[in-house]
Amino acid sequence: MTKRHTRLFFIGGTLLFAVIFLVLTVDSHRQFGTLTNADRITPAVSEGKDVWHRKNCVNCHTLLGEGAYYAPDLTKITQQRGVPYLTAFLKNPSQFYSERVHRRLMPNPNLSDAEIAQVIAFLDWVSNIDNAGWPPRPILVSGSAFPSAEVQPTTAGAASNDPIALGEMVFRSTPPGCVACHSTIAGTTLAGPSLAGIASRAEGHIGHSDYRGTAIDAAGYIRESITTPSAHVVPGAMYSAGGRSFMPDNFRTTLTPKQIEQLVAYLLTLP
Amino acid sequence: MRFRSQWVAYPYFAVALLLFGLQMVFGLLSAVKYLGPDPLINLLPFNVTKAIHTNLLIVWVLTGFMGATYYVVPEESRTEIYSERLAYWQLGLWTTLGVVIVVGYVFGWTAGNKLLEQPFPLKLGIVVIMLMFLFNILMTIRKAGRWTTTEAVLVAGLGLAALLYLPALLQFHNYTVSIFYRWWTIHLWVEGVWMMIQGGLLAYLLIRLSGADREMMEKWLYVIVGLVFIAGILGTAHHYYWTGVPKYWLPIGGFFSMLEPLAIFVMAMAAYSAMRRSGFAHPNKLAIHWTIGSAVFTAFGAGLLGFAHTWPSVNKWTHGTLITAMHGHSAFFGAYVMINLAIITYTMPHFTGRANEAKESALGYWAFWLMIGGMFGMTLAYATAGIAQVYLERIMGVGYLDTQQKIQVHFLMLIGTGIIFTAGVAAFIWDFFRQAPLRAPPIDLATESSSTAPLTA
Repeated sequence: MTKRHTRLFFIGGTLLFAVIFLVLTVDSHRQFGTLTNADRITPAVSEGKDVWHRKNCVNCHTLLGEGAYYAPDLTKITQQRGVPYLTAFLKNPSQFYSERVHRRLMPNPNLSDAEIAQVIAFLDWVSNIDNAGWPPRPILVSGSAFPSAEVQPTTAGAASNDPIALGEMVFRSTPPGCVACHSTIAGTTLAGPSLAGIASRAEGHIGHSDYRGTAIDAAGYIRESITTPSAHVVPGAMYSAGGRSFMPDNFRTTLTPKQIEQLVAYLLTLP
Repeated sequence: MRFRSQWVAYPYFAVALLLFGLQMVFGLLSAVKYLGPDPLINLLPFNVTKAIHTNLLIVWVLTGFMGATYYVVPEESRTEIYSERLAYWQLGLWTTLGVVIVVGYVFGWTAGNKLLEQPFPLKLGIVVIMLMFLFNILMTIRKAGRWTTTEAVLVAGLGLAALLYLPALLQFHNYTVSIFYRWWTIHLWVEGVWMMIQGGLLAYLLIRLSGADREMMEKWLYVIVGLVFIAGILGTAHHYYWTGVPKYWLPIGGFFSMLEPLAIFVMAMAAYSAMRRSGFAHPNKLAIHWTIGSAVFTAFGAGLLGFAHTWPSVNKWTHGTLITAMHGHSAFFGAYVMINLAIITYTMPHFTGRANEAKESALGYWAFWLMIGGMFGMTLAYATAGIAQVYLERIMGVGYLDTQQKIQVHFLMLIGTGIIFTAGVAAFIWDFFRQAPLRAPPIDLATESSSTAPLTA
């Protein structure tokens, strides 16, 4: 093997693989439109991307797993948090997390209402990109999908016909991803209130003079909270704004009535 | 130093080292923020300190590469640099631009694209300065009418680095497409053309330090850069997996990433066997340390730790965690920081006029071992933090913020080992600046573009 041979190896190998790379690039361009739902890149999404860049978000957060690993991944954030929540959060992030407890805070990005709507539109577009199923399991911002040891394995639930077990399955699966915002242990507050002891607290809410909903018992209250979250809001700036709950209000349509009944059955059992 | 104009490299190295020192300040500042709370959150938040940390790295490493090229090319082509004045102007403009970029981040002037945060007008400035540099180098080679394989690989690496910066100037409507082309710059730099630069400098140093047979060395250089591109070009795919590209990029990325360490291991073997044959006879032992160290640490950080998380079914879980930071720190240090420090250590006696001094400074050895030890510790800190993060956050489903709190002890280790590393950097910088260089030979305008005669042997 002489130097001439190895030079040929270098030039030939490089050119060959560069050509293959370029051919695959052309083919990828043919598919980008479908994979990324390019037809849904509205002006708001485009503007939102500019906001994302202008505010240097990627040097703390990750998006599609790329970024700086210093703040939560936002790839699927709009599937875990509703628009009202994200809007209120972006207006004043420090209201949602305590520097004492969480150690890390997000500085106020000082966005206008329009910019907030745009960046949320952008993140929502990102969340629908067909990206080979990543992340394989939901990445939560805070709290825990498995907060305590007594959680039943979901496979046990699947083998059962018990509505409570099935309800827990629904609670822990994504969608609807209830666990992304609600913990089931007392005192562990995620984006939404803890659901520990929800049955007895529901009785209290219904009996209170501030109650505006139509439920007459705990099961009714829970059902109402799932289907019409704003019917009665739990006090707290991180749960609602202007009487409107941050909880997504589309579970009425995305869950079957049977699933809702299973969820209610399960939630009534929480200690 | 055989040619007067090689002296141009000295101020390049000086600037590179000062920026290296500054990079440490922002690195430590960022590391402390992992622990929180952050009293500087509204003044210098993490996204600013981190961007400055990485941008300073890119600027100083390229400054070092350019200085090294100004040193190597005259010697290999046996001529003075085409225009020394252009080289000084270039350094001045480059440094100014680097400072403007960094200060701009503090005031929120950023393009907000990871590692390519430079605002568009400044990106254009980078292109212009790179062209100035390439013009000066190519005119030097043209004037000499002769070139060696070693310098050709080095200069081709720098030329391609400039070329591959061009995709960074494009704007895309679709975020996925913009990620796709961002990696043309970033990946094909660090796992492609920068490896050419490293390979070229390594070959130069090995020929000088070990007296290795040039023909043999350059033959291997071609094999190494050939392997770099055969694996590295399609290896770009390991950045594409989860970004919205067609699914065939997953097996392609997995397979070619697996090949990527091959070139690196061949490089480490070539370096080791070259040195073994010569019996480490060269008096500049410290330069030998940095040269061999670069080849070995690259095999560890870029080769082994890169391979540790590029396979798609592994990367699915580790993607976007501190595992990437583990690989990033050790790979950049081994490949690009150490090769720069090797060439600086090799050339330093030539600038200070102590060419035959066998006795290296103890401080130089402290710098070497503190940096090696510190970086090894930082790599372990990131690795343990990353493994815990993957397990808690991705497997167990514990939330991001809660996970980060549970792995605080690893951040303490990161800060501790980071301080050790910074002490090594400080020792290196002090060792460089405490010895005053010989006076720069005055630019001889009459002979500037015609003289090809060597000064002294």
